[in-house]
Amino acid sequence: MADEYKIDEGVYYTKEHEWAKKLEDGMVAVGVDDYAQSQLHEIVYVELPEMNSEVAQADAAGAVESVKAVSDFYCPVSGKVVAVNEELLDSPDKINTDPYGEGWIAKIEPSNLEADLANLMDAAAYTEYLKTL
Amino acid sequence: MDLKKTHIYEYHAEHGNVIDFGGYAMPVWYDGIQSEHKAVRESCGIFDTCHMGRTWATGPDVERFLNYIVTNNLATLEERGGLYTVMCKPTGGIVDDLILYKINDEKYWVVYNAGNREKDFKWLKKNSKDFKVKLEDVSDTVAMIAVQGPKAIDVMQKITEEKLDEVARFTVADLTISGLKVMAARTGYTGEDGFEIYVPDCSLDKPADALKIWNDLIAAGATPCGLGARDSLRLEAGLWLYGNDIDESINPLEAGLRWTVKLKKPSYFKGQRAIQKMKDDGVQKTLIGIMMDERGIPRHGYPILNMEEEEIGVVTSGGHSPTLGVGIAMAFVPPEYKKKGTELYVQVRKRNLKGKVVKHRPFYDDSVYGWKRDK
Repeated sequence: MADEYKIDEGVYYTKEHEWAKKLEDGMVAVGVDDYAQSQLHEIVYVELPEMNSEVAQADAAGAVESVKAVSDFYCPVSGKVVAVNEELLDSPDKINTDPYGEGWIAKIEPSNLEADLANLMDAAAYTEYLKTL
Repeated sequence: MDLKKTHIYEYHAEHGNVIDFGGYAMPVWYDGIQSEHKAVRESCGIFDTCHMGRTWATGPDVERFLNYIVTNNLATLEERGGLYTVMCKPTGGIVDDLILYKINDEKYWVVYNAGNREKDFKWLKKNSKDFKVKLEDVSDTVAMIAVQGPKAIDVMQKITEEKLDEVARFTVADLTISGLKVMAARTGYTGEDGFEIYVPDCSLDKPADALKIWNDLIAAGATPCGLGARDSLRLEAGLWLYGNDIDESINPLEAGLRWTVKLKKPSYFKGQRAIQKMKDDGVQKTLIGIMMDERGIPRHGYPILNMEEEEIGVVTSGGHSPTLGVGIAMAFVPPEYKKKGTELYVQVRKRNLKGKVVKHRPFYDDSVYGWKRDK
C-alpha cells in the first residue's frame, strides 16, 4: 500500500501525515502529505494557522476539511508562523493535486528544529510506517 | 463483523470506495463526491438504495391500520399515489419518516430508512395486532435503485418500454425496464426529478436482475453515485436525515414536519395527544436552515450562538454545499430565532463564524435547481 502514495525525499513526516521541509532561508514549510490528502479526498476548506502565532510541535494549528470529514492539522515543528498559504482559501484542492508543492499550508520560523526533526520520520522510515497501516 | 452486502455490491467492490454504513458495505463515492453531486444536479445519477426498508402491507384493515400508525391522512390518497409521513411514539417522538404507496384499498407499499429496518418492522408488527393486516418485509428480495436528476427521465426512458412522462410526480407505476417487470415511484431524496425502481423477485444471492438494470442505466448515461453525494444532495434540498435531524426525542412540529401531521383526521393516531399538546403549548425549538457568511463548514453537533455569543442551539446536519459553494446547515434553535435573515454564529472549532437564517427546503433557488426548476 505504501507505494500507492507519493513520498518526497528530503521531507520529514509525522504519524498523523503532516510533512515539514527545511527551506534555504532557514524557514520550514509545512503541510499535509499525499496519504492524508488521499484519505480525505476532495478537500473543500482549509483553516490556516494564525499568522505570527507561536506554535509548539504537534499543536492543532489549523484544519483540513473534505466534503465528509475534518482533519486537524498538527504542526510538525515548533516556532513562529511567518507565512500562510492564502491561495488555499480559494483553491483548497491544491492540497489534493500537489500536497508537497502548491499545497503547502504554512512557513514556520523554527525554534527547536533539530530536536523536533528527531521526533519525525524521514522518507525511508515513513515508507515503512505506511506499510504498517 | 461481516458487513451486509446489497444486490449491487459486486459493482461497488469493483468501482467504489466501500465503507461500513450501519452494517452495510456501501460506497461513499466512486469518482468523487463533488462530481457525483454535480451529475445529479445537472444530469443524471443513480444510487444503490437496496439497504433501505421495504414492506408489503396488505389486508382488509390495512388503511385503518396505517392511518392509526402514521400522522398523515391516507384518506386523500388515490390508487397509485404516494404519501410522505412520519410515525410517532405515544410521546410524539418520531419513530421514522417513510413513504406509503397505495396500490389498492387492501395493498400498500411501505418504504423506510435503512438504519431503522428492524426497528420499523417490529414497530409496525407490534401495533398491527388488533387489525386484519399482513406485513411482509421484502427488503432483501426486492432490490431498489434511485435514478435522480434533470435528465433522469431521458436516461431511464432509453431502457423503459412505457412512457415515463405519463407517470405523475409522487405516484408509483408498473414498468418494464431492461425487459424486466418492475415497479417504480416518481420520487427521490435529492430534490431532483427521477424515480426509485423496485426490482421484484431479486434475492441477495441472485442479484442479476438488479445488476442488469444498474449497468444498463450506466450505459444509458447515468453516473453511479455513492452515499457522500446522497447526503450532500439531500442536505441542499433540506430533506431530513433520520438520526441527525429527527429521532425519537424530536416531535414533528419541532422538525418542520407539521404538514405531515393531520391532527383533525377522524380517527385517533399514535402520538396524537402528545403532538396536540405540543401544538397547544407551543414548541421550544424549531429546525432552521443556516447559510454561512464567513468561510467554514458547519457540521453535526456544532453549537449555535446568538449575537450575544450565548449558546442557543445545535447543528443537526451541516456541510459544504457543492452547488452553492458555501457551508450550509440545519439546526435546532428557539423559535424566536427562526426569522429569515437572523444573524447567528456557528461555533466551528472554537471560532464563532457568522451565518444567516435562510429558506432551506430547499437551500438552492428552486427555479434553477430541483424538480420544480424552469424547464
